[in-house]
Amino acid sequence: MEDKQINKGANLLYKAFKKSIVIIALLVIWLIIPKYVNNLFVPSLFDVLKTGAELAISGKLWINTITSLRIAFIGLIISTVIAVPLGVILGWFKTVEEYIDPTFQIIRNTSILAILPIFLLIFGVGDTSKYAIIIWATLPITLLNTVQGVKNADPVLIQSARSMGIGNFGLFTKVIIPSAMPFILAGFRLSASISLIVLVGAEMLGARYGLGFLIYNSMHAYMIPEMYVGILMLAIIGIALNAVLVRTENYLTRWQEKVVQS
Amino acid sequence: MAAKNNIEISIENLNLDYHIRRKKKEAGPTSLHALDDINLSVREGEFLSVVGPSGCGKSTLLYILAGLQKKTSGIVKVGDTEITGPSLHTGIIMQAYALFPWRTIKKNVEFGLEVKGLPKAERSKIADEYIELVGLKEFSDRYPYELSGGMKQRIAIARALAYDPDVLLMDEPFAAVDEQTRSLLHEELLRIWEKTNKTIVFVTHSIEEAIFLSDRVAVMTPSPGKIREIIDIDLDRPRDGSIKSSEEFSRYRRHVWQLLQTIGDSTVETFDEKGRFVLDAQPQEVAI
Ligand SMILES: Nc1ncnc2c1ncn2[C@@H]1O[C@H](COP(=O)(O)OP(=O)(O)OP(=O)(O)O)[C@@H](O)[C@H]1O
Ligand SMILES: [Mg+2]
Repeated sequence: MEDKQINKGANLLYKAFKKSIVIIALLVIWLIIPKYVNNLFVPSLFDVLKTGAELAISGKLWINTITSLRIAFIGLIISTVIAVPLGVILGWFKTVEEYIDPTFQIIRNTSILAILPIFLLIFGVGDTSKYAIIIWATLPITLLNTVQGVKNADPVLIQSARSMGIGNFGLFTKVIIPSAMPFILAGFRLSASISLIVLVGAEMLGARYGLGFLIYNSMHAYMIPEMYVGILMLAIIGIALNAVLVRTENYLTRWQEKVVQS
Repeated sequence: MAAKNNIEISIENLNLDYHIRRKKKEAGPTSLHALDDINLSVREGEFLSVVGPSGCGKSTLLYILAGLQKKTSGIVKVGDTEITGPSLHTGIIMQAYALFPWRTIKKNVEFGLEVKGLPKAERSKIADEYIELVGLKEFSDRYPYELSGGMKQRIAIARALAYDPDVLLMDEPFAAVDEQTRSLLHEELLRIWEKTNKTIVFVTHSIEEAIFLSDRVAVMTPSPGKIREIIDIDLDRPRDGSIKSSEEFSRYRRHVWQLLQTIGDSTVETFDEKGRFVLDAQPQEVAI
């Protein structure tokens, strides 16, 4: 019994080691090399962290981080709230989808960064343009995934539910949407990371706050460590967000047989 | 045993044509005559099996009885009312188990009760009861993927029983389980049937299974499916596995087998001398 526990602990340690060793090595390199190789554009990790602490104390880091997170979050929620019900309807009425699908394919396959300026021209440099960009970039993803999920609902399960006298509304809430859930969640996770990417892009082009603004502005002002603080912050947010979403997804789809154990 | 005089299901001159979608230039008929002038009555509390070659329309017949498939012509009644759509009077257990993978075993069994609008506490109580009845109490909180084929089948039965339909339609429910499990499930099903007094229409590929379980066995012809003959099975109840080796039992088996064999040339080699299906045979098919 005890042996087993020790083994388990050792296993966990080993796993953590495997996952982090390369990252730690890279961070150490980043800490040391720039100190000895004079390089204006790559400050040592030490300098970046020091600047980060200063920015945190002054509040400049937080206001930019929170602005970005808030906009990304609200934009994503609006997009999801529109895309999921719409996707359920489009997935169910297949003919409607045939009309709309090409349009969404075009939107999805046109580089979002290319059309950023249009949004800024129309909606200005305030929050509105950012929301619009996020919705534009993520809505087709969640929508198409939802449509896919609805189409994927097993006809046998639909028949089975019908045989128990279920109505149309119940069919949607109890059968169609749960069937589509894995697809919807996967779409949501992709949308979340894309919303951050396009938001940062938009903030670089025109904004008064936000991490994208912080990075771009610092670059122009030659405040190189500040620029790295912004980049580092984005990396941390991206990783944390993904971890949370993967976990949520796994929990919500725990009824699915996992083919590959992680 | 309860009175078995009242007619529960009555089918008169039932026909069904499936519409076949074809591409514009493709030749061939655009409809398939799947059921041809079916006449059949099932009495209240009766256990009736339907056997017939693959593709003869057995599933189609059950789908019509379940209200999931519209008939082309004829009259089909359950109780006194003509079938127009799914109803809580009939429950169907489909060829695939059709459990909802995102629901636990217990939540699956509760499904029909939720549709009925029963309060939570009551649902839970009834579900527990039926899960217990099929002997899977310890699996209540598991998900379907964690169960074996036979267990899923039992849950599908529990789910259909839980919302208490008068008529239970079963489409080859035991096709995918091994011989021993199947024997156990047979006895379990008979026990449940005797206890709940349901009317059961049971579709199967196995002649032996049909005879063992049923009051009557309806034999169908190959597509388009007609009822060829209905055989009364006068074996004493309660039945156990030992009757399968009785003289009477073999007589019934031979009879059904001959009916199926002489239906048409195409089905001759579908059965062997023991009444086993050969074409569709699965390794666990009837063996004595
Ligand atoms: N939805 C459908 N559309 C068109 N034809 C169908 C459809 N469902 C079944 N058929 C055809 O109707 C006939 C009867 O099918 P059915 O599924 O009722 O047969 P079955 O007796 O249940 O066969 P099995 O024993 O293999 O399950 C078959 O020829 C089949 O190809
Ligand atoms: Mg069938």
